[in-house]
Amino acid sequence: MKTVVQAALVIVVLSAIGFLLGPWQTDIYRKLLLWIALALSYNFLFGVAGQVAFSHFTFYGIGAYAIVILVTQVGMPLPLAALAGVALCVVLALAVAIPATRLDGFYLALATLALAQLFIVFLNEGGAVTGGTGGLASYRLPDIAGVTLSGPRYTVVIVLLTTLTWGVISRLDRSWFGRACRAIRDNPQAAAAMGIDVARTRVIAFTLTSVLAGIAGMVYAFVDNTVNPPIFGLENAFLLLFMVIIGGSGSQFGAVIGATVLYLLPFVLAPLIGHHHALVFGVVMLAVILVQPRGLVGLVKSRPGAGQ
Amino acid sequence: MSGQTTPQDRGQPLLTVRALTRRFGGLVAVSGLDFDLHAGEILGLIGPNGAGKSTTFNMIAGTLTPTTGDIHLAGRPVGGLPPHEMAARGVMRTFQHNNLFAGMSLRENVMIGMHVGLASSLLGVITGRAAVRESEGAARRRADELLDFVGLADVREHDVTTLSFGQGRLLEAARALAGEPRLILFDEPAAGLAPAECDRLGRILQQIAARGIGVLLIEHDMRFLLELAHRVVVLDHGERIATGTPEEIRHDRSVIAAYLGSSARTTAAGGTDA
Repeated sequence: MKTVVQAALVIVVLSAIGFLLGPWQTDIYRKLLLWIALALSYNFLFGVAGQVAFSHFTFYGIGAYAIVILVTQVGMPLPLAALAGVALCVVLALAVAIPATRLDGFYLALATLALAQLFIVFLNEGGAVTGGTGGLASYRLPDIAGVTLSGPRYTVVIVLLTTLTWGVISRLDRSWFGRACRAIRDNPQAAAAMGIDVARTRVIAFTLTSVLAGIAGMVYAFVDNTVNPPIFGLENAFLLLFMVIIGGSGSQFGAVIGATVLYLLPFVLAPLIGHHHALVFGVVMLAVILVQPRGLVGLVKSRPGAGQ
Repeated sequence: MSGQTTPQDRGQPLLTVRALTRRFGGLVAVSGLDFDLHAGEILGLIGPNGAGKSTTFNMIAGTLTPTTGDIHLAGRPVGGLPPHEMAARGVMRTFQHNNLFAGMSLRENVMIGMHVGLASSLLGVITGRAAVRESEGAARRRADELLDFVGLADVREHDVTTLSFGQGRLLEAARALAGEPRLILFDEPAAGLAPAECDRLGRILQQIAARGIGVLLIEHDMRFLLELAHRVVVLDHGERIATGTPEEIRHDRSVIAAYLGSSARTTAAGGTDA
Protein backbone atom coordinates (compact mmCIF):
# COMPACT_ATOMS: atom_id res chain seq x y z
CA MET A 1 0.00 0.00 0.00
CA LYS A 2 2.84 2.33 0.87
CA THR A 3 4.40 1.92 -2.55
CA VAL A 4 1.06 2.64 -4.25
CA VAL A 5 0.80 5.95 -2.37
CA GLN A 6 4.41 6.77 -3.20
CA ALA A 7 3.87 5.96 -6.87
CA ALA A 8 0.71 8.08 -7.00
CA LEU A 9 2.55 10.97 -5.40
CA VAL A 10 5.41 10.73 -7.90
CA ILE A 11 2.95 10.63 -10.81
CA VAL A 12 1.07 13.67 -9.51
CA VAL A 13 4.24 15.70 -8.94
CA LEU A 14 5.83 14.78 -12.29
CA SER A 15 2.54 15.50 -14.08
CA ALA A 16 2.10 18.82 -12.29
CA ILE A 17 5.53 19.90 -13.51
CA GLY A 18 4.26 19.26 -17.04
CA PHE A 19 1.49 21.82 -16.54
CA LEU A 20 3.93 24.51 -15.40
CA LEU A 21 6.38 24.41 -18.29
CA GLY A 22 6.49 26.48 -21.44
CA PRO A 23 6.62 24.85 -24.90
CA TRP A 24 10.42 24.70 -25.12
CA GLN A 25 10.87 23.27 -21.61
CA THR A 26 7.99 20.86 -22.20
CA ASP A 27 9.83 19.38 -25.17
CA ILE A 28 13.00 18.87 -23.11
CA TYR A 29 11.02 17.52 -20.15
CA ARG A 30 9.15 14.98 -22.26
CA LYS A 31 12.28 13.74 -23.98
CA LEU A 32 14.11 13.52 -20.68
CA LEU A 33 11.31 11.32 -19.32
CA LEU A 34 11.49 9.15 -22.44
CA TRP A 35 15.27 8.79 -22.13
CA ILE A 36 14.81 7.79 -18.48
CA ALA A 37 12.22 5.16 -19.46
CA LEU A 38 14.62 3.78 -22.09
CA ALA A 39 17.59 3.85 -19.73
CA LEU A 40 15.57 1.97 -17.08
CA SER A 41 14.70 -0.92 -19.37
CA TYR A 42 18.14 -0.92 -21.00
CA ASN A 43 19.76 -0.99 -17.58
CA PHE A 44 17.86 -4.19 -16.84
CA LEU A 45 19.02 -5.74 -20.11
CA PHE A 46 22.62 -4.53 -20.04
CA GLY A 47 23.31 -3.91 -16.36
CA VAL A 48 21.23 -6.56 -14.62
CA ALA A 49 21.01 -9.33 -17.22
CA GLY A 50 24.48 -8.52 -18.57
CA GLN A 51 23.48 -8.73 -22.23
CA VAL A 52 25.51 -6.54 -24.53
CA ALA A 53 22.78 -5.61 -26.99
CA PHE A 54 22.75 -2.61 -29.32
CA SER A 55 19.16 -3.01 -30.44
CA HIS A 56 17.37 -1.24 -27.60
CA PHE A 57 17.07 2.05 -29.42
CA THR A 58 16.09 0.16 -32.56
CA PHE A 59 13.09 -1.32 -30.75
CA TYR A 60 12.22 2.23 -29.70
CA GLY A 61 12.20 3.08 -33.40
CA ILE A 62 10.27 -0.05 -34.35
CA GLY A 63 7.57 0.86 -31.83
CA ALA A 64 7.42 4.45 -33.09
CA TYR A 65 7.25 3.59 -36.79
CA ALA A 66 4.89 0.67 -36.20
CA ILE A 67 2.24 2.70 -34.44
CA VAL A 68 2.37 5.52 -36.99
CA ILE A 69 2.18 3.16 -39.97
CA LEU A 70 -0.55 1.02 -38.43
CA VAL A 71 -2.70 4.00 -37.43
CA THR A 72 -2.23 6.31 -40.41
CA GLN A 73 -1.66 3.90 -43.30
CA VAL A 74 -3.39 0.69 -42.24
CA GLY A 75 -6.11 2.60 -40.42
CA MET A 76 -6.12 0.49 -37.28
CA PRO A 77 -7.73 1.85 -34.13
CA LEU A 78 -5.05 3.03 -31.68
CA PRO A 79 -5.37 0.25 -29.05
CA LEU A 80 -5.21 -2.44 -31.74
CA ALA A 81 -2.22 -0.74 -33.36
CA ALA A 82 -0.46 -0.64 -29.99
CA LEU A 83 -1.08 -4.36 -29.46
CA ALA A 84 0.14 -5.13 -32.98
CA GLY A 85 3.24 -3.02 -32.32
CA VAL A 86 3.95 -4.99 -29.15
CA ALA A 87 3.46 -8.24 -31.06
CA LEU A 88 5.90 -7.05 -33.73
CA CYS A 89 8.50 -6.23 -31.07
CA VAL A 90 8.03 -9.66 -29.49
CA VAL A 91 8.48 -11.47 -32.81
CA LEU A 92 11.56 -9.47 -33.79
CA ALA A 93 13.10 -9.79 -30.31
CA LEU A 94 12.61 -13.56 -30.35
CA ALA A 95 14.02 -13.80 -33.87
CA VAL A 96 17.21 -12.07 -32.72
CA ALA A 97 17.53 -13.50 -29.22
CA ILE A 98 16.78 -17.18 -29.76
CA PRO A 99 19.64 -17.85 -32.18
CA ALA A 100 22.02 -15.33 -30.56
CA THR A 101 21.70 -16.45 -26.93
CA ARG A 102 22.53 -20.03 -27.84
CA LEU A 103 25.98 -18.73 -28.70
CA ASP A 104 28.43 -16.63 -26.74
CA GLY A 105 27.40 -13.11 -25.64
CA PHE A 106 29.59 -11.67 -28.39
CA TYR A 107 27.14 -12.94 -30.98
CA LEU A 108 24.26 -11.11 -29.36
CA ALA A 109 26.25 -7.89 -29.76
CA LEU A 110 26.81 -8.68 -33.44
CA ALA A 111 23.24 -9.79 -34.11
CA THR A 112 21.76 -6.70 -32.45
CA LEU A 113 24.16 -4.39 -34.32
CA ALA A 114 23.04 -6.07 -37.53
CA LEU A 115 19.39 -5.55 -36.60
CA ALA A 116 20.07 -1.89 -35.82
CA GLN A 117 21.72 -1.35 -39.22
CA LEU A 118 19.08 -3.34 -41.10
CA PHE A 119 16.36 -1.24 -39.50
CA ILE A 120 17.96 1.97 -40.77
CA VAL A 121 18.32 0.48 -44.26
CA PHE A 122 14.69 -0.61 -44.11
CA LEU A 123 13.58 2.88 -43.08
CA ASN A 124 15.58 4.57 -45.84
CA GLU A 125 14.47 2.14 -48.54
CA GLY A 126 10.92 1.62 -47.34
CA GLY A 127 9.32 3.94 -49.93
CA ALA A 128 5.89 5.27 -49.07
CA VAL A 129 5.50 2.93 -46.10
CA THR A 130 8.35 4.38 -44.08
CA GLY A 131 8.64 7.66 -45.94
CA GLY A 132 12.26 6.93 -46.91
CA THR A 133 14.99 9.26 -45.70
CA GLY A 134 12.47 11.98 -44.85
CA GLY A 135 10.46 9.70 -42.60
CA LEU A 136 6.81 10.23 -41.73
CA ALA A 137 5.29 13.48 -40.57
CA SER A 138 2.08 15.48 -40.34
CA TYR A 139 0.10 12.86 -38.51
CA ARG A 140 -1.44 13.28 -35.11
CA LEU A 141 -2.60 11.15 -32.21
CA PRO A 142 -6.22 10.07 -32.74
CA ASP A 143 -8.62 11.12 -30.03
CA ILE A 144 -9.05 8.50 -27.33
CA ALA A 145 -12.69 8.11 -26.26
CA GLY A 146 -13.37 11.64 -27.46
CA VAL A 147 -10.46 13.12 -25.51
CA THR A 148 -7.68 14.92 -27.34
CA LEU A 149 -4.38 14.16 -25.62
CA SER A 150 -2.14 17.08 -26.37
CA GLY A 151 -0.04 19.61 -24.51
CA PRO A 152 0.33 18.88 -20.78
CA ARG A 153 -2.16 16.01 -21.05
CA TYR A 154 0.20 14.17 -23.33
CA THR A 155 3.02 14.90 -20.89
CA VAL A 156 0.96 12.99 -18.33
CA VAL A 157 0.94 10.01 -20.71
CA ILE A 158 4.75 10.14 -20.80
CA VAL A 159 4.94 10.45 -17.01
CA LEU A 160 2.79 7.31 -16.76
CA LEU A 161 5.04 5.49 -19.22
CA THR A 162 8.18 6.34 -17.26
CA THR A 163 6.76 5.55 -13.82
CA LEU A 164 5.21 2.29 -15.05
CA THR A 165 8.54 1.31 -16.59
CA TRP A 166 10.19 2.05 -13.25
CA GLY A 167 7.58 -0.09 -11.46
CA VAL A 168 7.81 -3.03 -13.85
CA ILE A 169 11.61 -3.02 -13.85
CA SER A 170 11.93 -2.73 -10.08
CA ARG A 171 9.47 -5.57 -9.51
CA LEU A 172 11.34 -7.74 -12.00
CA ASP A 173 14.66 -6.81 -10.45
CA ARG A 174 13.59 -7.70 -6.92
CA SER A 175 11.93 -10.97 -7.93
CA TRP A 176 13.29 -14.45 -8.57
CA PHE A 177 13.57 -13.38 -12.20
CA GLY A 178 15.92 -10.48 -11.44
CA ARG A 179 18.02 -12.71 -9.23
CA ALA A 180 18.20 -15.32 -11.99
CA CYS A 181 19.28 -12.66 -14.50
CA ARG A 182 22.03 -11.39 -12.21
CA ALA A 183 23.12 -14.96 -11.47
CA ILE A 184 23.49 -15.61 -15.20
CA ARG A 185 25.39 -12.34 -15.66
CA ASP A 186 27.84 -13.28 -12.89
CA ASN A 187 28.23 -16.99 -13.50
CA PRO A 188 26.15 -18.84 -16.12
CA GLN A 189 27.56 -22.25 -15.17
CA ALA A 190 26.62 -21.93 -11.51
CA ALA A 191 23.25 -20.42 -12.48
CA ALA A 192 22.43 -23.50 -14.55
CA ALA A 193 23.41 -25.73 -11.62
CA MET A 194 20.83 -23.86 -9.52
CA GLY A 195 18.10 -24.90 -11.96
CA ILE A 196 18.03 -21.70 -14.01
CA ASP A 197 17.38 -22.26 -17.70
CA VAL A 198 20.06 -19.87 -18.90
CA ALA A 199 19.05 -19.58 -22.57
CA ARG A 200 15.35 -19.20 -21.79
CA THR A 201 15.93 -16.57 -19.10
CA ARG A 202 18.17 -14.58 -21.44
CA VAL A 203 15.59 -14.68 -24.21
CA ILE A 204 12.81 -13.57 -21.86
CA ALA A 205 14.89 -10.69 -20.45
CA PHE A 206 15.79 -9.53 -23.96
CA THR A 207 12.21 -9.76 -25.22
CA LEU A 208 10.63 -8.07 -22.20
CA THR A 209 13.01 -5.13 -22.20
CA SER A 210 12.79 -4.78 -25.99
CA VAL A 211 9.00 -4.61 -25.74
CA LEU A 212 9.31 -1.91 -23.06
CA ALA A 213 11.54 0.04 -25.47
CA GLY A 214 8.97 -0.48 -28.23
CA ILE A 215 6.17 0.85 -26.03
CA ALA A 216 8.28 3.92 -25.19
CA GLY A 217 8.78 4.39 -28.93
CA MET A 218 5.02 4.32 -29.50
CA VAL A 219 4.64 7.12 -26.96
CA TYR A 220 7.53 9.02 -28.54
CA ALA A 221 5.90 8.88 -31.99
CA PHE A 222 3.34 11.49 -30.91
CA VAL A 223 5.78 13.81 -29.16
CA ASP A 224 7.25 15.41 -32.29
CA ASN A 225 4.62 13.96 -34.61
CA THR A 226 7.40 13.00 -36.94
CA VAL A 227 9.65 9.95 -37.16
CA ASN A 228 12.71 9.76 -39.38
CA PRO A 229 15.74 7.47 -39.80
CA PRO A 230 18.52 9.62 -38.25
CA ILE A 231 16.77 9.61 -34.84
CA PHE A 232 17.05 5.83 -34.59
CA GLY A 233 20.67 5.48 -35.69
CA LEU A 234 23.54 3.99 -33.74
CA GLU A 235 24.54 7.34 -32.25
CA ASN A 236 21.57 7.30 -29.90
CA ALA A 237 22.03 3.58 -29.23
CA PHE A 238 25.51 4.33 -27.89
CA LEU A 239 24.29 7.37 -25.99
CA LEU A 240 21.86 5.04 -24.19
CA LEU A 241 24.72 2.68 -23.39
CA PHE A 242 26.76 5.58 -21.99
CA MET A 243 23.81 6.73 -19.89
CA VAL A 244 23.59 3.34 -18.19
CA ILE A 245 27.35 2.97 -17.70
CA ILE A 246 27.92 6.51 -16.44
CA GLY A 247 24.88 6.37 -14.16
CA GLY A 248 25.91 3.04 -12.69
CA SER A 249 25.33 -0.21 -14.55
CA GLY A 250 22.83 -2.45 -12.75
CA SER A 251 21.28 0.32 -10.66
CA GLN A 252 17.88 1.83 -11.40
CA PHE A 253 18.74 5.11 -9.73
CA GLY A 254 21.92 5.08 -11.76
CA ALA A 255 19.91 4.78 -14.97
CA VAL A 256 17.85 7.83 -13.99
CA ILE A 257 20.93 9.83 -13.05
CA GLY A 258 22.86 8.78 -16.17
CA ALA A 259 19.96 9.61 -18.50
CA THR A 260 19.38 12.97 -16.83
CA VAL A 261 23.03 14.03 -16.83
CA LEU A 262 23.81 12.95 -20.37
CA TYR A 263 20.58 14.26 -21.88
CA LEU A 264 20.82 17.65 -20.20
CA LEU A 265 24.58 18.05 -20.58
CA PRO A 266 24.47 19.37 -24.18
CA PHE A 267 21.87 21.98 -23.21
CA VAL A 268 24.19 23.23 -20.52
CA LEU A 269 27.38 22.94 -22.52
CA ALA A 270 26.27 24.00 -26.02
CA PRO A 271 26.00 27.71 -25.18
CA LEU A 272 29.45 27.53 -23.61
CA ILE A 273 31.48 25.45 -26.04
CA GLY A 274 29.22 24.82 -29.01
CA HIS A 275 29.54 21.51 -30.78
CA HIS A 276 32.53 20.44 -28.72
CA HIS A 277 30.20 18.93 -26.13
CA ALA A 278 30.71 15.52 -27.77
CA LEU A 279 34.29 15.74 -26.57
CA VAL A 280 33.06 16.36 -23.02
CA PHE A 281 30.99 13.15 -23.27
CA GLY A 282 34.11 11.18 -23.94
CA VAL A 283 36.00 12.81 -21.09
CA VAL A 284 33.12 12.29 -18.63
CA MET A 285 32.84 8.67 -19.74
CA LEU A 286 36.53 8.01 -19.18
CA ALA A 287 36.59 9.86 -15.89
CA VAL A 288 33.66 7.87 -14.52
CA ILE A 289 35.14 4.53 -15.61
CA LEU A 290 38.52 5.37 -14.09
CA VAL A 291 37.43 7.14 -10.91
CA GLN A 292 34.10 5.54 -10.05
CA PRO A 293 33.53 2.29 -11.96
CA ARG A 294 30.19 1.86 -10.23
CA GLY A 295 28.99 4.99 -11.97
CA LEU A 296 27.62 8.26 -10.65
CA VAL A 297 25.23 6.37 -8.38
CA GLY A 298 28.30 4.94 -6.66
CA LEU A 299 29.08 8.43 -5.40
CA VAL A 300 25.87 8.58 -3.38
CA LYS A 301 25.29 4.93 -2.52
CA SER A 302 27.75 2.96 -0.44
CA ARG A 303 26.54 -0.47 -1.49
CA PRO A 304 26.52 -1.58 -5.11
CA GLY A 305 23.56 -3.59 -6.22
CA ALA A 306 20.13 -3.66 -7.64
CA GLY A 307 18.95 -0.21 -6.67
CA GLN A 308 16.68 -1.59 -4.02
CA MET B 1 29.72 -45.05 11.54
CA SER B 2 30.06 -48.80 11.05
CA GLY B 3 27.71 -50.92 13.05
CA GLN B 4 24.71 -48.69 12.22
CA THR B 5 22.07 -49.76 9.76
CA THR B 6 23.21 -48.22 6.53
CA PRO B 7 20.66 -46.53 4.29
CA GLN B 8 21.23 -48.92 1.41
CA ASP B 9 19.33 -51.59 3.33
CA ARG B 10 16.11 -49.69 2.73
CA GLY B 11 14.10 -49.86 -0.49
CA GLN B 12 14.67 -48.54 -4.00
CA PRO B 13 17.89 -46.65 -4.69
CA LEU B 14 17.65 -42.90 -5.23
CA LEU B 15 20.31 -42.88 -7.90
CA THR B 16 21.12 -45.82 -10.14
CA VAL B 17 24.12 -45.73 -12.45
CA ARG B 18 24.44 -48.58 -14.95
CA ALA B 19 27.14 -49.27 -17.53
CA LEU B 20 27.94 -45.56 -17.56
CA THR B 21 30.61 -44.80 -20.16
CA ARG B 22 32.15 -41.61 -21.44
CA ARG B 23 34.72 -41.36 -24.19
CA PHE B 24 36.68 -38.28 -25.21
CA GLY B 25 37.89 -39.14 -28.70
CA GLY B 26 40.01 -42.25 -28.20
CA LEU B 27 40.24 -41.83 -24.44
CA VAL B 28 37.80 -43.78 -22.30
CA ALA B 29 37.38 -41.62 -19.19
CA VAL B 30 34.68 -43.73 -17.57
CA SER B 31 33.94 -47.29 -18.60
CA GLY B 32 30.94 -49.44 -17.69
CA LEU B 33 30.44 -47.90 -14.27
CA ASP B 34 27.70 -49.32 -12.01
CA PHE B 35 26.65 -48.09 -8.59
CA ASP B 36 23.59 -47.21 -6.51
CA LEU B 37 23.03 -44.41 -4.05
CA HIS B 38 20.19 -44.43 -1.51
CA ALA B 39 18.29 -41.60 0.12
CA GLY B 40 20.10 -40.53 3.27
CA GLU B 41 23.32 -42.20 2.22
CA ILE B 42 26.73 -40.62 1.88
CA LEU B 43 28.46 -42.36 -0.99
CA GLY B 44 32.12 -41.60 -1.50
CA LEU B 45 33.63 -41.68 -4.95
CA ILE B 46 37.41 -41.87 -4.87
CA GLY B 47 40.31 -42.72 -7.08
CA PRO B 48 43.68 -41.37 -8.15
CA ASN B 49 43.92 -38.37 -10.45
CA GLY B 50 42.50 -39.19 -13.85
CA ALA B 51 40.42 -42.07 -12.49
CA GLY B 52 37.20 -40.61 -13.94
CA LYS B 53 35.68 -39.15 -10.76
CA SER B 54 35.02 -35.72 -12.20
CA THR B 55 33.72 -37.14 -15.46
CA THR B 56 31.26 -39.28 -13.52
CA PHE B 57 30.28 -36.32 -11.37
CA ASN B 58 29.72 -34.12 -14.40
CA MET B 59 27.55 -36.73 -16.12
CA ILE B 60 25.30 -36.92 -13.06
CA ALA B 61 25.23 -33.12 -12.75
CA GLY B 62 24.28 -32.85 -16.43
CA THR B 63 27.33 -30.91 -17.62
CA LEU B 64 28.54 -33.92 -19.62
CA THR B 65 26.44 -36.27 -21.71
CA PRO B 66 27.15 -39.99 -21.23
CA THR B 67 28.43 -41.74 -24.34
CA THR B 68 26.48 -44.85 -23.32
CA GLY B 69 24.87 -46.18 -20.17
CA ASP B 70 22.03 -45.09 -17.93
CA ILE B 71 21.47 -42.77 -15.00
CA HIS B 72 18.17 -43.12 -13.16
CA LEU B 73 16.88 -40.85 -10.43
CA ALA B 74 14.15 -42.48 -8.34
CA GLY B 75 13.51 -44.85 -11.21
CA ARG B 76 13.29 -42.23 -13.97
CA PRO B 77 15.95 -41.91 -16.67
CA VAL B 78 17.85 -38.64 -16.37
CA GLY B 79 21.05 -39.35 -18.33
CA GLY B 80 21.93 -36.58 -20.77
CA LEU B 81 19.63 -33.94 -19.29
CA PRO B 82 21.16 -30.43 -19.09
CA PRO B 83 22.23 -29.07 -15.66
CA HIS B 84 19.15 -26.94 -15.06
CA GLU B 85 16.91 -29.95 -15.76
CA MET B 86 18.89 -32.04 -13.31
CA ALA B 87 18.49 -29.31 -10.70
CA ALA B 88 14.76 -29.14 -11.42
CA ARG B 89 14.60 -32.89 -10.68
CA GLY B 90 16.29 -32.42 -7.33
CA VAL B 91 19.98 -32.86 -8.10
CA MET B 92 22.00 -29.94 -6.74
CA ARG B 93 25.76 -29.61 -6.75
CA THR B 94 28.65 -27.67 -5.29
CA PHE B 95 31.77 -26.64 -7.15
CA GLN B 96 35.37 -27.51 -6.49
CA HIS B 97 36.35 -23.85 -6.76
CA ASN B 98 33.62 -21.89 -5.05
CA ASN B 99 31.17 -20.62 -7.62
CA LEU B 100 29.27 -17.93 -5.77
CA PHE B 101 27.40 -15.01 -7.28
CA ALA B 102 29.57 -11.99 -6.59
CA GLY B 103 27.94 -8.65 -5.90
CA MET B 104 25.08 -10.34 -4.07
CA SER B 105 24.49 -10.94 -0.41
CA LEU B 106 24.75 -14.38 1.15
CA ARG B 107 20.99 -14.43 1.49
CA GLU B 108 20.47 -13.68 -2.19
CA ASN B 109 22.94 -16.42 -3.11
CA VAL B 110 20.92 -18.93 -1.11
CA MET B 111 17.68 -17.63 -2.62
CA ILE B 112 19.04 -18.33 -6.09
CA GLY B 113 19.28 -21.94 -4.98
CA MET B 114 15.48 -21.82 -4.57
CA HIS B 115 14.94 -20.78 -8.19
CA VAL B 116 13.04 -23.89 -9.26
CA GLY B 117 10.55 -23.64 -6.41
CA LEU B 118 10.12 -19.87 -6.70
CA ALA B 119 9.83 -19.41 -10.46
CA SER B 120 6.24 -18.47 -11.15
CA SER B 121 4.35 -16.40 -13.70
CA LEU B 122 6.18 -13.21 -14.68
CA LEU B 123 2.81 -11.52 -15.03
CA GLY B 124 2.31 -12.14 -11.31
CA VAL B 125 5.70 -10.54 -10.65
CA ILE B 126 4.93 -7.46 -12.78
CA THR B 127 1.46 -6.94 -11.34
CA GLY B 128 2.77 -7.41 -7.80
CA ARG B 129 0.45 -10.33 -7.03
CA ALA B 130 0.21 -11.05 -3.30
CA ALA B 131 1.14 -14.72 -3.71
CA VAL B 132 4.44 -13.69 -5.32
CA ARG B 133 5.28 -11.37 -2.42
CA GLU B 134 4.38 -14.06 0.10
CA SER B 135 6.53 -16.73 -1.52
CA GLU B 136 9.36 -14.21 -1.72
CA GLY B 137 9.03 -13.54 2.01
CA ALA B 138 8.92 -17.25 2.78
CA ALA B 139 12.02 -17.79 0.64
CA ARG B 140 13.83 -15.07 2.56
CA ARG B 141 12.98 -16.68 5.89
CA ARG B 142 14.04 -20.09 4.66
CA ALA B 143 17.31 -18.67 3.34
CA ASP B 144 18.00 -17.25 6.80
CA GLU B 145 17.27 -20.66 8.37
CA LEU B 146 19.70 -22.34 6.02
CA LEU B 147 22.38 -19.74 6.70
CA ASP B 148 21.82 -20.38 10.38
CA PHE B 149 22.18 -24.12 9.73
CA VAL B 150 25.64 -23.67 8.20
CA GLY B 151 26.64 -21.05 10.77
CA LEU B 152 26.66 -17.99 8.52
CA ALA B 153 23.58 -16.21 9.88
CA ASP B 154 25.64 -13.32 11.28
CA VAL B 155 26.93 -12.28 7.88
CA ARG B 156 23.82 -13.00 5.79
CA GLU B 157 23.52 -9.40 4.56
CA HIS B 158 27.17 -9.20 3.57
CA ASP B 159 28.43 -9.38 0.04
CA VAL B 160 29.83 -12.83 -0.75
CA THR B 161 33.14 -11.33 -1.82
CA THR B 162 33.84 -10.67 1.88
CA LEU B 163 33.78 -14.39 2.72
CA SER B 164 36.78 -16.60 3.38
CA PHE B 165 37.24 -19.64 1.16
CA GLY B 166 35.95 -21.94 3.90
CA GLN B 167 32.87 -19.79 4.51
CA GLY B 168 32.24 -19.88 0.76
CA ARG B 169 32.16 -23.67 0.95
CA LEU B 170 29.56 -23.55 3.71
CA LEU B 171 27.52 -21.08 1.70
CA GLU B 172 27.64 -23.42 -1.28
CA ALA B 173 26.25 -26.17 0.92
CA ALA B 174 23.42 -23.90 2.09
CA ARG B 175 22.70 -22.86 -1.49
CA ALA B 176 22.56 -26.48 -2.64
CA LEU B 177 20.18 -27.30 0.24
CA ALA B 178 17.96 -24.36 -0.71
CA GLY B 179 16.72 -26.23 -3.76
CA GLU B 180 15.16 -28.87 -1.49
CA PRO B 181 17.16 -31.49 -3.34
CA ARG B 182 16.89 -35.24 -3.22
CA LEU B 183 20.57 -35.60 -4.04
CA ILE B 184 23.52 -33.26 -3.53
CA LEU B 185 26.77 -33.75 -5.36
CA PHE B 186 29.79 -32.42 -3.48
CA ASP B 187 32.88 -31.85 -5.61
CA GLU B 188 35.91 -32.10 -3.30
CA PRO B 189 34.34 -30.03 -0.53
CA ALA B 190 37.28 -30.42 1.85
CA ALA B 191 39.88 -29.15 -0.62
CA GLY B 192 41.54 -26.00 0.69
CA LEU B 193 39.86 -26.09 4.09
CA ALA B 194 41.56 -25.83 7.48
CA PRO B 195 41.06 -28.87 9.79
CA ALA B 196 38.45 -27.11 11.94
CA GLU B 197 36.53 -26.10 8.82
CA CYS B 198 36.72 -29.70 7.56
CA ASP B 199 35.18 -30.99 10.79
CA ARG B 200 32.38 -28.48 10.59
CA LEU B 201 31.66 -29.30 6.96
CA GLY B 202 31.74 -33.02 7.80
CA ARG B 203 29.08 -32.55 10.48
CA ILE B 204 26.95 -30.56 8.03
CA LEU B 205 27.21 -33.35 5.44
CA GLN B 206 26.08 -35.87 8.05
CA GLN B 207 23.14 -33.68 9.01
CA ILE B 208 22.20 -33.31 5.36
CA ALA B 209 22.19 -37.10 4.93
CA ALA B 210 20.21 -37.44 8.17
CA ARG B 211 17.48 -35.35 6.51
CA GLY B 212 17.08 -38.15 3.97
CA ILE B 213 19.01 -36.44 1.19
CA GLY B 214 21.42 -38.57 -0.83
CA VAL B 215 25.01 -37.29 -0.82
CA LEU B 216 27.57 -38.13 -3.47
CA LEU B 217 30.99 -37.08 -2.32
CA ILE B 218 34.06 -36.81 -4.50
CA GLU B 219 37.10 -36.27 -2.40
CA HIS B 220 40.86 -36.45 -2.53
CA ASP B 221 41.17 -36.23 1.24
CA MET B 222 40.89 -39.92 2.16
CA ARG B 223 40.61 -39.38 5.89
CA PHE B 224 37.77 -36.90 5.47
CA LEU B 225 35.92 -39.18 3.09
CA LEU B 226 36.41 -42.49 4.91
CA GLU B 227 35.12 -40.98 8.15
CA LEU B 228 31.96 -39.70 6.54
CA ALA B 229 30.95 -42.13 3.82
CA HIS B 230 28.58 -44.99 4.45
CA ARG B 231 29.91 -46.70 1.35
CA VAL B 232 32.73 -46.00 -1.05
CA VAL B 233 33.18 -46.62 -4.77
CA VAL B 234 36.79 -46.66 -5.94
CA LEU B 235 37.65 -45.81 -9.53
CA ASP B 236 40.88 -46.33 -11.37
CA HIS B 237 41.45 -45.70 -15.08
CA GLY B 238 37.71 -45.14 -15.51
CA GLU B 239 36.67 -48.45 -14.04
CA ARG B 240 35.29 -49.44 -10.68
CA ILE B 241 37.96 -51.44 -8.89
CA ALA B 242 36.28 -51.74 -5.50
CA THR B 243 33.13 -50.93 -3.60
CA GLY B 244 32.31 -51.40 0.05
CA THR B 245 32.28 -49.84 3.49
CA PRO B 246 35.17 -47.53 4.43
CA GLU B 247 36.58 -50.36 6.55
CA GLU B 248 36.60 -52.76 3.61
CA ILE B 249 38.13 -50.13 1.31
CA ARG B 250 40.96 -49.42 3.76
CA HIS B 251 42.07 -53.03 3.46
CA ASP B 252 41.34 -53.68 -0.17
CA ARG B 253 44.50 -54.75 -1.96
CA SER B 254 43.55 -53.40 -5.36
CA VAL B 255 42.77 -50.00 -3.83
CA ILE B 256 46.08 -49.88 -2.02
CA ALA B 257 47.87 -50.88 -5.20
CA ALA B 258 46.07 -48.25 -7.27
CA TYR B 259 46.91 -45.51 -4.83
CA LEU B 260 50.48 -46.55 -4.17
CA GLY B 261 51.02 -47.13 -7.85
CA SER B 262 49.91 -43.71 -8.90
CA SER B 263 50.58 -41.35 -6.04
CA ALA B 264 52.95 -41.57 -3.13
CA ARG B 265 51.42 -38.65 -1.25
CA THR B 266 48.20 -40.45 -0.37
CA THR B 267 47.83 -43.84 1.22
CA ALA B 268 44.75 -45.96 1.04
CA ALA B 269 45.33 -47.12 4.58
CA GLY B 270 43.91 -43.85 5.81
CA GLY B 271 45.38 -41.56 8.36
CA THR B 272 47.48 -39.33 6.17
CA ASP B 273 46.71 -37.06 3.34
CA ALA B 274 48.47 -34.37 1.39
